[in-house]
Amino acid sequence: MSVAVEGLNIAIGGTTIVADAALSIADGERVGLIGSSGSGKSMISKAMLGLLPLNATVSGSIMLDDMQVVGAAERELADLRGRYVGTVFQNPAASLNPVMTVGQQIGLPLKLHYDLTKDERVERVGAMLAKVGLAKEIAVKYPHELSGGQQQRVGIATALITSPRFIIADEPTTALDSMSQRQIVDLLTSLVDDAGASMLFITHDFSVLARATTRCYVLESGRIAESGATAEVLADPKTPESERLVSAARSLTLRSADGFQSAKGDSHER
Amino acid sequence: MSNNTQITVSHNDGGRLRYGFAGRAAIVLKTMWRRGEGKFTLIVLALWLVVALISLIWTPQSLWATDGYHVWAKPSASHWLGTDGTGADVFSWLMAGSRTNLLIVVLTVAFSALWGLLLVSAMVARASALASASVVVIDALISIPTVLLALILAVPLGASITVIVIACGFGYGLNLARVARPSALLAARSSYVESALANGASGWRILVSHIIPNIVPVLAVQLSLSAGTAVLAESGLTYLGIGVPSGMPSWGHSLATSVKLINVFPLTVLWPGLVVTVVVVALNIFGDVLRDAIDPVTNPALRQTAASAEKEDER
Amino acid sequence: MRFVIRRLLLFVVALFGISVVVFAALRILPGDVASIMAGINAPASRVAQLREQLGLNRPLVAQYFDWMGALVTGDFGTSILTGRSVTALIGARASITFPLIIVGLLIAMLIGLPLGCAAVLARSPRVRMAFHVLAIIGGSVPALWGGLLLILLFGKGVGLVGILPSQGFPLDGWGEPVGAMLSLILPAFTVGIIVGASLMRYTRAALGDLANSGYIDMARSCGMTRTQAVLRVGLRLAMPQLVSVIGLTFASMVTGVMVIENLFALPGIGNGLVTDVGNRDLIAVQSELFLLAAFFLTIGLIVDVLHRLLDPRLKNASGVSEVSA
Repeated sequence: MSVAVEGLNIAIGGTTIVADAALSIADGERVGLIGSSGSGKSMISKAMLGLLPLNATVSGSIMLDDMQVVGAAERELADLRGRYVGTVFQNPAASLNPVMTVGQQIGLPLKLHYDLTKDERVERVGAMLAKVGLAKEIAVKYPHELSGGQQQRVGIATALITSPRFIIADEPTTALDSMSQRQIVDLLTSLVDDAGASMLFITHDFSVLARATTRCYVLESGRIAESGATAEVLADPKTPESERLVSAARSLTLRSADGFQSAKGDSHER
Repeated sequence: MSNNTQITVSHNDGGRLRYGFAGRAAIVLKTMWRRGEGKFTLIVLALWLVVALISLIWTPQSLWATDGYHVWAKPSASHWLGTDGTGADVFSWLMAGSRTNLLIVVLTVAFSALWGLLLVSAMVARASALASASVVVIDALISIPTVLLALILAVPLGASITVIVIACGFGYGLNLARVARPSALLAARSSYVESALANGASGWRILVSHIIPNIVPVLAVQLSLSAGTAVLAESGLTYLGIGVPSGMPSWGHSLATSVKLINVFPLTVLWPGLVVTVVVVALNIFGDVLRDAIDPVTNPALRQTAASAEKEDER
Repeated sequence: MRFVIRRLLLFVVALFGISVVVFAALRILPGDVASIMAGINAPASRVAQLREQLGLNRPLVAQYFDWMGALVTGDFGTSILTGRSVTALIGARASITFPLIIVGLLIAMLIGLPLGCAAVLARSPRVRMAFHVLAIIGGSVPALWGGLLLILLFGKGVGLVGILPSQGFPLDGWGEPVGAMLSLILPAFTVGIIVGASLMRYTRAALGDLANSGYIDMARSCGMTRTQAVLRVGLRLAMPQLVSVIGLTFASMVTGVMVIENLFALPGIGNGLVTDVGNRDLIAVQSELFLLAAFFLTIGLIVDVLHRLLDPRLKNASGVSEVSA
């Protein structure tokens, strides 16, 4: 699926979050969106999915193939989500449904979009679990019984079970330790490539971005500040913001979960 | 060492110290006034205060002017809301009731604030036995209904304002403590408190300068909800005969009178209830509006004073 | 299972604690029980006779065990004033209060839950504001006044559409089923509307928090619309909380409907308690308070167990854990 964003403005409760953003993703391409927390990158991904909070106003254009997302009806967007567009969230512990078993969670997009028998669903969920490197027995467990890395694998399995054409990964590694980060990024990119889907990978961490994407956009307080091949931006950052992010990625070898920033991001909507 | 302590404290509430209570209050009131519901709540509460004060020196008819020839009378030019069973003026009693309710609300809020803060400090105490014991005790006590407590208190005390204040304040304080616990705990375990403790600050000092400032938003909302609930509780308890004693004006008393007037002139019933409802709505909104106005994150005007105070600190 | 046993143990301990507190409260409070019961102007001989009759001359501990021993065998004492057994008194009162609060709670749920959901689902800012105003006003109406307004609308004699009785309960009680039901309609709606407003606020708050959470985003990203996600995922996740609130609300209604029972002249539990306190019938009051407390504790126990069953995160945790959603 190809993606074209043009002249995108997002405001929440009167405050401008994203201003005149433009980006494009070709079919099968893995593109990054990087920026520090509060730069509005998550809002761009939410706008693509129609998941912005109720007090947000959006203008501009977001084309997913030939469908205009901005101003589309919730029913149309819901048909798109989970079927053609899969999403991996930042914090699996706060997004995987705590009262659903892993099997039910992964099977949810299938249940919502396809008319399969229960056995067929169970079979596909089992196959998907194997693809993300989890044992079949995990299907009957609840998310809180899994480790952070396992939870994120469940998140990836849920996003990919319907073989969507476009994956949005919104800081999928931020809540993980550095060891799991690398494994999750590699798993995600290989699965996306195998499926031939395109991907938007959002992060504030260049060291992760380099593994996941070929091209990237740098977002600075709601505006696209720079774009280009990830390797080039990494080697020769042109704006102060990219420079800061690059040097942060170099100096930090071992990172811990960025709890403070994610907490700030969550409370933001209220 | 003492120098160190000073820095921590001024970092936390430099703005407050420098701009003084009056200056900050003016900013907060102005911010509240700018919102529609802020205007509403401020006007209603100011009216309440004014009417209560006026009733101390003037009411249309004397409260004690009884008139044996005009008992249970319909509204007229001299008795706007009619008269009760002794011929006393219902409107004057309703007006005078505002001062009793104001007193009850003030006492209840003060009592529940003190009692709640006492419980909060027990719950965030360093002694973990005290902390966990107080959590269990509060969970157990919180399910005692206010009416039940009031009934028990009324056995020895009879109908009195004390019954209302203690019964309500007790329960609201428990509630306050439970709601404020998370943010109080966060503040109590913060690095500011760690360093203040290391510098030998007393528990009292920590409570006042670190924990209370951090639970002010919760306090604002909870206490104003308590104020509203106290007004409602007064009407119920007084009607049941265990609240404000007969012979003392109060809104509950007026409501109870209006129950009897329903057969004389039904529409009289509307007024005391309407007064109570409007005041309780105002009190319920007051906390929300106040919380937004005293929070530097949502109030840019306050943020400026805090920022300039911090700049002065840096110099 | 271990949780249930621990919780039962806590229940028994709490029950014991409450019995001590109730017993002590009525004796420690200023005033001698016998002279309070006899009344202010009673002659000393009457007080002495009462004291003898109630066993108040015996040591406190013995008195307590007398009372407890009787309670265990189902004997709640005899009302001094009426000479009837407290068990019969409470039974008669409960036959009015429980139908009233059960129907009241059903009405409250039928009002509060849908309105609370609608308040979260509404997309237009104006509609959201309207729900906000409705919730605040609903929570600010004195119960007494709410009842009066309903009487003004529907009460026989004074109402605009005076079709429903607004005073008293048939003398025969449920022996006169139609009359009994009719006399409960207005009070039940008064309770239902007032409790419904508070249920609406709880539903709106619980669901509103969840509606902005990652769980709802996740469900929507799997292909649900916002409405589907809020109603299917949000309501399910809010269920433990809502069950707790509804259970505890039910418990509190037993005494909470006191004013409404009084207004509609229904001789229910709360109204009876007020009467007994007013008459200083302390033996009855003592047993009634204990039974009420036991009822609260039982509901609390049921709510806690349900809460655990509804949240898989709590199922395997031991003891009283503090997992928050």
